[in-house]
Amino acid sequence: MRPTPRTKGSRRNGLALHLILITGMVLSLFPFYWTLVMATNTTGDIFRYPPKLTIGSHFGDNVSKVFDSIDFPGSMLNTFVVAVSVTVLVLFFDSLAAFTFAKFDFPGRRALFVVLMGIFMVPTQLQAIPQFVIMARLGWIGSLTALIVPAAANAFGIFWMRQYMMGAIHDELLDAARLDGCGFFRQYWHVALPVVRPGLAFLGIYTFIASWNDYMWPLIALVNPHNLTLQVALSQLNGVHSTDYSMVMAGALLAMIPLLVVFVLAARHFIADLAKGAVRG
Amino acid sequence: MDTTSTAAGAPRGRRAHLPRLTRQAPTGPGAVRPDGLRRAPADHWPKYLAISPFYLLFLAFGLIPVVFSLYLAFHRWDGIGGMEYAGLSQFRYLLTDSQFWNSISVTVQIWAMATVPTLFLAMVTAVLMNSAVRFKGFYRVAYFVPSVTSIVAIAIVFGSIFSTEFGLTNAALRAVGLDTVPWLNSPWGIKTAIAALMTWQWVGYNAIIYLAGLQTIPSELYEAARVDGAGPVQSFFRITVPMMRPVILFTLVVSTVTGLQSFSESQVLLASTSNTSNAGGPDNAGQTMVLYFYQQTFDNNDFGYGAAMAWGIFLVVALFAIINWRLVQRRER
Amino acid sequence: MRRVVGAVPLSRRGLLRAGGLGAAAAALAGTPACSVPTGSTGRQMTLWYWTSGLSDKVVGEARRKFTAVDLRPVQIGGYFRSKLLTNMAGRAYVPDITGLKGEDMASYHANADQFMDLRALGADALADRYLPWKWRECITSQGRMIGFPIDVGPTAHYYRPDVFERAGLPTEPDDVAAQMSSWDTYFAAGRRLRKKVPGASMILGMTDVFQYAIGQSTERFVDKDKHFIGDGEHVRHAWDLAVRAKRMGITSHLRPGSPDQTAALAKGRLPSQLNPSWWSADLKLSAPGSKGKWRVARMPGGPANYGGSFLAITKYCRKPEQAFEIITWLLDADNQTRGFTDAGLFPSTPASYTHKAMRAPDPFFGGQVTVDVFGPAAEKIPVAYNSPYDVAVSQPIRDEIVNINDLGKDPDDAWRDAMSKVRRIADHLGVS
Repeated sequence: MRPTPRTKGSRRNGLALHLILITGMVLSLFPFYWTLVMATNTTGDIFRYPPKLTIGSHFGDNVSKVFDSIDFPGSMLNTFVVAVSVTVLVLFFDSLAAFTFAKFDFPGRRALFVVLMGIFMVPTQLQAIPQFVIMARLGWIGSLTALIVPAAANAFGIFWMRQYMMGAIHDELLDAARLDGCGFFRQYWHVALPVVRPGLAFLGIYTFIASWNDYMWPLIALVNPHNLTLQVALSQLNGVHSTDYSMVMAGALLAMIPLLVVFVLAARHFIADLAKGAVRG
Repeated sequence: MDTTSTAAGAPRGRRAHLPRLTRQAPTGPGAVRPDGLRRAPADHWPKYLAISPFYLLFLAFGLIPVVFSLYLAFHRWDGIGGMEYAGLSQFRYLLTDSQFWNSISVTVQIWAMATVPTLFLAMVTAVLMNSAVRFKGFYRVAYFVPSVTSIVAIAIVFGSIFSTEFGLTNAALRAVGLDTVPWLNSPWGIKTAIAALMTWQWVGYNAIIYLAGLQTIPSELYEAARVDGAGPVQSFFRITVPMMRPVILFTLVVSTVTGLQSFSESQVLLASTSNTSNAGGPDNAGQTMVLYFYQQTFDNNDFGYGAAMAWGIFLVVALFAIINWRLVQRRER
Repeated sequence: MRRVVGAVPLSRRGLLRAGGLGAAAAALAGTPACSVPTGSTGRQMTLWYWTSGLSDKVVGEARRKFTAVDLRPVQIGGYFRSKLLTNMAGRAYVPDITGLKGEDMASYHANADQFMDLRALGADALADRYLPWKWRECITSQGRMIGFPIDVGPTAHYYRPDVFERAGLPTEPDDVAAQMSSWDTYFAAGRRLRKKVPGASMILGMTDVFQYAIGQSTERFVDKDKHFIGDGEHVRHAWDLAVRAKRMGITSHLRPGSPDQTAALAKGRLPSQLNPSWWSADLKLSAPGSKGKWRVARMPGGPANYGGSFLAITKYCRKPEQAFEIITWLLDADNQTRGFTDAGLFPSTPASYTHKAMRAPDPFFGGQVTVDVFGPAAEKIPVAYNSPYDVAVSQPIRDEIVNINDLGKDPDDAWRDAMSKVRRIADHLGVS
């Protein structure tokens, strides 16, 4: 299973290997190409047999129809606001709690951590109805607050950051800081945070992507048709205009692009961190 | 709530790498600073303050809702009018609701149809990538991209690929002279389409994790095996699989937790029209537990029954979690 | 870990605390609603409808005409009733004026207190201008009027003469109506079509047959006294008809409302569709390329009503008088006439029927004057009592119809399964 450069047929093997990997890669990327094909042709072209497999010239028309049908820039902005706010809050609250759990002892610590772990197992459906009712009382239904506040800290992030911090922050550093007269929060801010920046980057990208793609709760909570996130707006577009297929596809494509850009820019470190975390556990 | 968006839940829509829970108990060796317990609890206020946001959010949007949902499950309520005490009748109705049992079996079937090929293909891909010397970084990104793509957009695209009239799969079948299949209008077609979507989305993700696992296996092991005359297949089953067992179990646990709560795929793929709700296609073949919950609660406005069903789903998920837990624990011994 | 399954602590103190929280939760649910929902602002007046639910031109004119308010029309996608009720449950962004689908009307009666009583706003004075049976559907058993009639849904036979010609079937509306006057002769024509034009289906699915055969009778599934009548002769008859269509192999496997149906319509693989008047707007949107190729003829087996909707003013509306003025203007005879020419909404105002514009030839239908078909159908619609429980109780029957159509389930098994499920649901809802 390891590379075996010493055997004779290795060149041919290497070629076969890349061929298989490239086939898999094509399968992996094909739906994106296909979206592009459908988004740049007319609905009539899509319905044809044999199917048209090449990129057409109607992208502009389709996009302008998308902009007429839903408030695309507004939804994009909403999604961005939610994803950024959630990410910033999660990074702050989770890392702060993780730091505390990882490096300090205090009465009730163990019990509190066990509760935190138990929360992993509560399915979110159990909370959907009551959350809806509570938010309705708070007057948050239909506003982005309903998406941001409950997501501002989570058990997963605390757990993950705690694991990360236990390895990354050396006690000597904190001791030194304390000798210099640093209190708890200054130890966190000046000592811990700079050290765990790679961990924060991973958690940040992860949270951002998850928040950007979130669907079920926004679908329930965003009841104001003028104020939606991208995912909900896209499903609206699909619901109202399912007959104009190429236009729906243009919407789908537009909704994919920003995240793909973010991801490709951050990909290298993100993938490495994720894999490391999973294996090391 | 597909993803990290609740204070209380683990991120579920994304396959987060759930760190292994057992190895490091809350009081892991060397993790805790020795200061502390001698002082009075009040002196620890910065620490309580530091962890309080999560617990406050959890109280408001996690614990109170859970208790409230139990209360709701004993009532009839359409969310608009008054509540009416219903005793255990919602739970009785749930137990005899064939559609609920069906939704459990649908969920498990789709989960199995997606998870087996996903993990198998991921392993194959990882082994191949591990052998490749060049373009590794490039492959990794290309294979990983599907898992960060919007599920709504991708479900819309897969809806077109599996369309009866103009879908690519049927066009391919026709091109080789086979009969077309009404994918999204037949029970196995629906399940296949959803499983295909999930497989497509998660092969790369799991492959990356496996790849990292493969890279931790010392190459001496393989050398030794080769010296002992083991072929590549033998060393795969004798070395790779046992060494990778923890990682494989980890991916299995994650895909169980996410698979049992699948919703968006069916919700978008089998979208409702303006005067019907989405019941998961013919014979409710694509109606997962969560989709049925959503339909009863927010389409039929049966909040009481929805709450009872949420508890039913909770029990099913807990059952699978316990099974998983046992698997993980056996490994530890 | 294992001790903490879920988040509810199982100790005695925990249980006590949980009990306290339960009481708090109960208090939360019982708090009287604030009458002003989140999101309502001064001059704004929101109007919810769905694609082709009203004439967009008339709505646009209303915006310009009623300047005392800022009328904000919104087209809502997806399952409309669910969205409206969810907003009502959330008490947020409830529209001031909303469309109510005809199929759902009876079920809204259960939430009548969410809507303004239009009688209190003076609706009675206008009653004689609207079809009496349609008007009655707006009034609850307590005498509250919760909706105002938009259109009615007289059904007809939409067909493609070009495809019919290839199958050797008649092409002129009168000839089509004459040859396919009953379900039997319609099915026979379907068999001929299937033989001569491979890949084409006469009927979208058994659901259509079942639905319209029920619509041709004067009974539904639950009667006025809350008794279940869904096992009656009229349902059995509709069921058997639908089964016969399936056995003759003339139904398609396409999901209603799916892009597949759109594609098949555009390609002429569904050259015959039984549908109400309002469906013509959907058809024009779905298959713009088939303009001029469609005609309408009288419905096999006689007319039925399907859909046809209402406008309502919600209790959250701050200016109900103003809203009432707007809806009565939107739905007066002149504007209903335009509803028909713009969106195929067949007027519920008899005064429109003699209006010249109603007789304008429709180029989409090759210049046919479609009111000649829909008008007589509207006059002969069999009127039935629609129960709030109809939708829920009939759901298993309709599900099993789909199972026969798409999965080839044995019809006898399907009927048995449907009836046992219906009984359960009826019990759950208190229908006897």
